[in-house]
Amino acid sequence: MPGEIIKVDRLRKTYRVPEREAGLKASVRSLVKRKYTDVEAVRDISFNICSGEMVGFIGPNGAGKTTTLKMLSGLLRPTDGEASVLGFVPWERRANYLSRISMVLGNKSQMLWDIPPLDSFRVLGEIYRVPQAELNRTLEELFDLLDMLPLLEKPVRNLSLGERMKCELVAGLLHRPQVLFLDEPTLGLDISMQNRLRQFLGEYNQRSGVTVLLTSHYMADVMALCPRVILIHQGKLLYDGELTGLAGRLAPFKLLRITLNDMHAENCEEVLPKEAEIIDRENGNLTLRVNRSAAPAVTAHLLSTLSIADLTIENPPIEAVIDQIYQEGSV
Amino acid sequence: MNHRGGIALIKATWTSWLQYRSFFFLLAFGWMIPPLIYLLVWSTAAGEASIGGLSRGEFVAYYLVLILVNQITYSQTNWTVGDMIREGSMNRLLLRPIHPLYDALASEVAGKVVYLVFDIPVVAVLALVLHPEFHPTMIEIAAFLPALVFAWMLRFFWGYWLALLAFWASRASALLAIQDALIFLLAGQVAPVALLPGAIKTAAVVLPFRYMVGFPVEILTGQLGAAEISSGFTVQLAWLGVSLALTALIWRSGLRQHTAVGG
Repeated sequence: MPGEIIKVDRLRKTYRVPEREAGLKASVRSLVKRKYTDVEAVRDISFNICSGEMVGFIGPNGAGKTTTLKMLSGLLRPTDGEASVLGFVPWERRANYLSRISMVLGNKSQMLWDIPPLDSFRVLGEIYRVPQAELNRTLEELFDLLDMLPLLEKPVRNLSLGERMKCELVAGLLHRPQVLFLDEPTLGLDISMQNRLRQFLGEYNQRSGVTVLLTSHYMADVMALCPRVILIHQGKLLYDGELTGLAGRLAPFKLLRITLNDMHAENCEEVLPKEAEIIDRENGNLTLRVNRSAAPAVTAHLLSTLSIADLTIENPPIEAVIDQIYQEGSV
Repeated sequence: MNHRGGIALIKATWTSWLQYRSFFFLLAFGWMIPPLIYLLVWSTAAGEASIGGLSRGEFVAYYLVLILVNQITYSQTNWTVGDMIREGSMNRLLLRPIHPLYDALASEVAGKVVYLVFDIPVVAVLALVLHPEFHPTMIEIAAFLPALVFAWMLRFFWGYWLALLAFWASRASALLAIQDALIFLLAGQVAPVALLPGAIKTAAVVLPFRYMVGFPVEILTGQLGAAEISSGFTVQLAWLGVSLALTALIWRSGLRQHTAVGG
């Protein structure tokens, strides 16, 4: 496919970790003879991403997301398999490659702790060899989008977590990377800061056409930003496609919420069709689970047999769907 | 090579370090204490006579120069390098299109400036009080300056390759403590190298540590003849070559190791 700028082919990463039991005896023994276990962090993952795409990379803790991102950003060498990003092999770590990408880690900082952010940005600008005028323009645009002029005078250590994350994003974007790897950018942020950053990332992606691979445990991030998700679990790729498709495939049912007029509340079970399963009941409010395909018929039946004050049809919440996948390990 | 980025890093590191002036002054003060003690011990011992050809005033001059040289060549950055590898913050630097060595060099240069702001006035006051006997010739000064620069480079890169061993063994910084101990014994701190007993003196002349501190001090205080100076430079540059080669080699295989096992 034309425009594919990230190509990942059967990528595999196996860590060799020293095995050690707790206790003094074991630690002395490990000095002489070390036992190792192989941990397969990523197993045969393949996917391609097109220029300008925003892809959510999801999976439970320890699924191999960060390992994959580290391989794509040149911090790790895979055990097997191939990848190319912007035509480069990431782990060859060419300066030309590193200056075209960016990796923003929610828990690691590119900022110098004791000086105002603006000074750090200038240093990074020099490191990435951004011409002065261009740097000023980019910074101005980013400050504006992130609404962060008041932060620029304070040393980074005096900033709040959310403010610091804004700075990390500016630090990661000031050289106008073509590919952006975002690892948990909203980690630990309050809800309005999360919204703010989401809005920024969406807007920035639209404006600059940057390709984004984003990991997050907040499904709201993924829902707001990523039309496509790649789901991995225990190092294996479980799903690659639209987020809505994931919900449809995994949860082939709808939720009907109905509010009955009081007098019918007691004996409504008798008239419910067998396809509808009551999953929640509180006075006159009922939540029914109905097979996706049967939903229209059941709805029509309910409306004709019961006196209904209100009715809504919903998809099951994505968190519930994701939770089910993480627990079962399959789609 | 990305010198533009390197210079910017130095400037920023310096600005951020200046905020902790007093902390660094305290560090610098701590590093000054051992040579100061030996200054007092040797100059008192010499009294009105001389020991090993050095008079009281010459001991004072030797140790005052040594305090400055020790400070200029001391590479505290190398301790940080090992920590960064161990704690995974090296990854932050590896994401940038600039060699992480620049980061270490930036704090080196920044540190020197901050320390010297403290050291030079202190040494000047000590000189006024203790009356050193100090008459360097132009040739000695001309030889001292390159010897000092090489001494710093040797001490820095020697420590840097030791610190890089953290790629394999997480507590490699213990080796830096050994380096410091050897420098203390063999580089002219405990006593000028000329005063060391036979075998130890031979070891001091052959091993790299004297060339990290003592050698430039001996040049400037007139302890070395032309032949000794030129053979000293030969040994110093040879060790510098070795440490640069080791740094390059260990960096390359260390990085391979790091990217294989993750940080």
